[in-house]
Amino acid sequence: MRLPEFMRTTTFRWTLAVSGAFTVCILLMFGFVLAQAYSFMTADVDRLIVGIANFVTSDGPEHRVERLNEHLRIDARHAKLGGLFAADGSRIAGNIESLPAEFRGDARPQLVSLVKVDASGRERQTVRALARALPEGGTLVVGRNDYEFSWIVDIVERALALGLIPALCLGLATGVFLSVRAQRRVEEVNRRVQRIIAGELRERLPTHGTNDAFDKLATLVNGMLDEIETLVRSIAGVGDDIAHDLRTPLTRVRVCLERARQNATTVDGLRAAVDQAIVGLDQSLAIVTALLRIAEIEHGRRLAAFRDVALAELVREVGDLYEPIAEDKKVGLVVGAKDEVTVHGDRDLLFEAIANLVDNAVKFTPEGGHVELSLSRAGDEAVVRVRDTGPGIVADEQELVGRRFYRSDKSRGDPGVGLGLSLVTAIVKLHGFRFAISPGPGCVAEIAGQRAAYS
Amino acid sequence: MPRLLLIEDDRETANEIMAELVDRGFDVDWAATGIEGLDKARAADADAMIVDRLLPGMDGLTIIEAVRQERVRTPVLVLSALGAVDDRVRGLRAGGDDYLTKPFAIAELIARIEALLRRPAESRDTILRVGPLELDLLSRTAKRGERPIELLPREFRLLEYMMRRKDQLLTRAMLFEEVWNYKFVPQSNLVDVHMGRLRRKIDMPDEQPMINNVRGEGFILRAPA
Repeated sequence: MRLPEFMRTTTFRWTLAVSGAFTVCILLMFGFVLAQAYSFMTADVDRLIVGIANFVTSDGPEHRVERLNEHLRIDARHAKLGGLFAADGSRIAGNIESLPAEFRGDARPQLVSLVKVDASGRERQTVRALARALPEGGTLVVGRNDYEFSWIVDIVERALALGLIPALCLGLATGVFLSVRAQRRVEEVNRRVQRIIAGELRERLPTHGTNDAFDKLATLVNGMLDEIETLVRSIAGVGDDIAHDLRTPLTRVRVCLERARQNATTVDGLRAAVDQAIVGLDQSLAIVTALLRIAEIEHGRRLAAFRDVALAELVREVGDLYEPIAEDKKVGLVVGAKDEVTVHGDRDLLFEAIANLVDNAVKFTPEGGHVELSLSRAGDEAVVRVRDTGPGIVADEQELVGRRFYRSDKSRGDPGVGLGLSLVTAIVKLHGFRFAISPGPGCVAEIAGQRAAYS
Repeated sequence: MPRLLLIEDDRETANEIMAELVDRGFDVDWAATGIEGLDKARAADADAMIVDRLLPGMDGLTIIEAVRQERVRTPVLVLSALGAVDDRVRGLRAGGDDYLTKPFAIAELIARIEALLRRPAESRDTILRVGPLELDLLSRTAKRGERPIELLPREFRLLEYMMRRKDQLLTRAMLFEEVWNYKFVPQSNLVDVHMGRLRRKIDMPDEQPMINNVRGEGFILRAPA
């Protein structure tokens, strides 16, 4: 037979064990008390019956019957026993039917079984009694029913019944309650985890606001799930974006080729279409290349190439590279790198990151605007700042621009694969630097990183 | 006719490349496996080699290293689907002379092979000349005929590179890698813009153009006809 589910929980087993131990302790304690009480009371009763025997036998034989009867007469508790037996064993006086055979004969109190007779009838009792041989022959038996002890035993039994059994029941009930509750929570967690495994990533473990161990664990797991959900969603988002951004140029290629196949009448016409198709394919390949590159950087395999990089020279080089392009666009490019600042990093990657920022700035700054590329020190940090007078970014977009393929609606029409800032983010992360974009006027992009020790 | 050795395991890719190369007047020998490739490379009767990195059971770089140890100096172009910068550096360190990432434009491949075959000799000349164009490497001056040309340092570097490789097609990627020494793909048409600047200084409107733009492929510096 299978035990009910809750009985197999650890909580329930522990409750059982604790209840069992508790019961054993209580029983031992009561047993000890009873044993003590019994020995104390027995000693008391024994003293009493020895006293009575002395009293009955203190005078001459002629007073014995009288003294015994006097002793037995006042017996409100029906506890007194006594008997005077002739040498032949016949009863002379008292309320004991016959002389019990089991007396040891040493005249000391012992436990015997005898039959009491009185007005209310015969009754066999087990009592403390002594038998004393009389000098004139015959035997005096004095006993006392230790009913007080029976009372105490009764009381203890009742106390046990009234105390221990409800306590045990309460313990068991608590155990059942706790284990059922734990069981329910585990089952609830189990159900939800199953749902999460099945792909329902928005599911969370229940918390009851009690801040108990379960709650703490659930909160921890929920935090983990939040992180996983964000990651999975961003991966899924990136997947969607990749699919979308690859599909756009590929669709264009397809349409272009299809149309050329149907409509082109000359080799030149066909060639023009093929050229256009190649441009589209190159764009798709550029996306794939950029993605692979970001993956490569994110996996941090380039740490080996880290060395001290003089940023001033690097910044001036980027300026030199982009100056003609800015000039063609009639955008003023100002490079400010007076102080030499050295950081520890990968020169090529840092160049690429800064070049990307400048590229963006120049691209998004309208004719007549300015782009300012500057290098400065701020405490023990090197700060490369690219400030432009372009459309800037709104606060909502600040977080998003580092995401792969994110393109502001304002720039949807511009060429580019939308991976530039993801690349910058990846490079900055690899270096342990900070990257921030803030609305200027225009847009301010900043890379800040720890300076090399001696720069 | 220049002889080329192509070590590439994928038959289809090999056929495409060979067809193009033969069209351009090369004599191409093909090895489909690393072992075969190594044997043919050791024979050293090719003028240049094209080696794919991912060969069955062998890294193309192993072949290059083995061949270089035998003091075979044949120039090598490494082909690879591994585009990472580190892989590139490793490829060049192993003894490759140039590195091209798959997929590539055929024009890019041809241009790079031409460049390998016509590597400029280590000349001691301090003055480079192409037609009327003169570049003085010591005084850092340039002139076309009698007309002095003012060049910025970056323009001087670009022109020097082109003059050392006159009559060769130089792709944008080659220029960006060699002149600027950058390994990333710029988002903007940087090379074109820089080339435009240089061109305006070299070719005046009334002069015969020397810097020729080959559409979609790159640039060639030629003496005027």
